[in-house]
Amino acid sequence: MKSIVAFAFLAVVISAVSSELHCTVKRPNIPNDWIDMVRPCVEEMKKQIQKEINASMKYLAMGAHFSRDTVNRPGFAKYFFEAASEEREHAIKLIKYLLMRGELVSGVSKLIKTSFDALPTTHWNNAVAALEDALKTEAEVTKSIRNVISVCEEPNDNSRFNDYHLSDYLTGEFLEEQYKGQRDIAGKISNSRNLWATMVNLENSCSIKNCCKQCKIKYSRPQFV
Amino acid sequence: MKMNSSTLFVVCLLGIIANVNAKECRATIQDACRPYINKQSNPLLESTCNARYGAIGHLEPDLVKYATSHLVKSFEYLLMSTHFGNYDMNREGFEKLFRGYSDSKWADTIELIKHITKRGGKMNFSPISTSADNYELYEIESLAKALDMEKSSMNDAYLIHERAIRKIDSSHDPEISHYIEEEFVEKEAGTIRELTGYITELSQMLAESEDNGLALHFFDDYLKGL
Ligand SMILES: [Fe+2]
Repeated sequence: MKSIVAFAFLAVVISAVSSELHCTVKRPNIPNDWIDMVRPCVEEMKKQIQKEINASMKYLAMGAHFSRDTVNRPGFAKYFFEAASEEREHAIKLIKYLLMRGELVSGVSKLIKTSFDALPTTHWNNAVAALEDALKTEAEVTKSIRNVISVCEEPNDNSRFNDYHLSDYLTGEFLEEQYKGQRDIAGKISNSRNLWATMVNLENSCSIKNCCKQCKIKYSRPQFV
Repeated sequence: MKMNSSTLFVVCLLGIIANVNAKECRATIQDACRPYINKQSNPLLESTCNARYGAIGHLEPDLVKYATSHLVKSFEYLLMSTHFGNYDMNREGFEKLFRGYSDSKWADTIELIKHITKRGGKMNFSPISTSADNYELYEIESLAKALDMEKSSMNDAYLIHERAIRKIDSSHDPEISHYIEEEFVEKEAGTIRELTGYITELSQMLAESEDNGLALHFFDDYLKGL
């Protein structure tokens, strides 16, 4: 208590003397022996962050497209908006990883572009076309993550530094999700196509009245609302 | 008489043109359902069978711009947060604060896109060019930048609102003015007041001491505990 009073007193005295703010602190010299990531690997990781953001933008555009009044696929819109948020989370996870390894002390301002290029596509003919585009995008991301792992295991800078921890992290956290995600999208494409085929068959073979029950079952799948 | 009939003719012609331009949905549907009429490829495309009404045509570009600015700000806040997360800065409170702002701007981007499409509009993903900025800021500087960003966002909201409540130049749209008030203006006022409070507090703390390391540490700890 005494010390707090003394501190407050001191503070009042000092503030009376100087009115200018001392806004920054001197950073202590911290040993950097523990920072062991090598440049080629860090650069690949940084590129991957932007790739995740780009994927996020693509899914955001898909979400926007399927939300439109004259397109009207709210189930798909919700699915793609969530996918966009997930891709953003991936970028943040990669950032967090680099911070944990002592990286990103400088050059953060250029880590993510705040200017965007035009998106290659903002219109998809139907949900299957968008899912196929998404599956292609995911396959590219998977390939890109595999490339990060390979650069970080055998960087071409004579360091011979094999980044075991990073390759384990990318394999366990990222590749795992990529393969599961790709399987999920492929399944959705299959479902959508089957649904379409079923509808055509129904129209050809029986009256709506008879098939109503079947239609309801097919339509009730939540992702195709 | 001659004059009258030609006027009538012009009026009729204008009426037909107006009808073609803004055909009511039901009439479009009736035409589409008539079996032997010469049909366009998709008659619904140019009809009023959509969710557009009021002044969406006038306000759509502003809403798209507003959504885009939210998107850009969400990335700017993410970079500001990242800077405070490095081991050298090590300000977990600031990192958390700006991450929160980034998340909120991201969520609002999606909400705005949904609302634009709710009104029959289309989100436009045209290229965005922003001037390169520095996001590696010191503590109080980052709060000051955030305050500027939020005030500019509030200004955008006020401009849309102002257009939406004006009955002249056909931009009157109560649904949009209400939406902006309810979803943005109220929240933004809170954020602006919150940031101003932080700046007041921290600048007092910084003025009171030559050794501000302690002040910054305490303030960061305070933000972390929020
Ligand atoms: Fe991803």
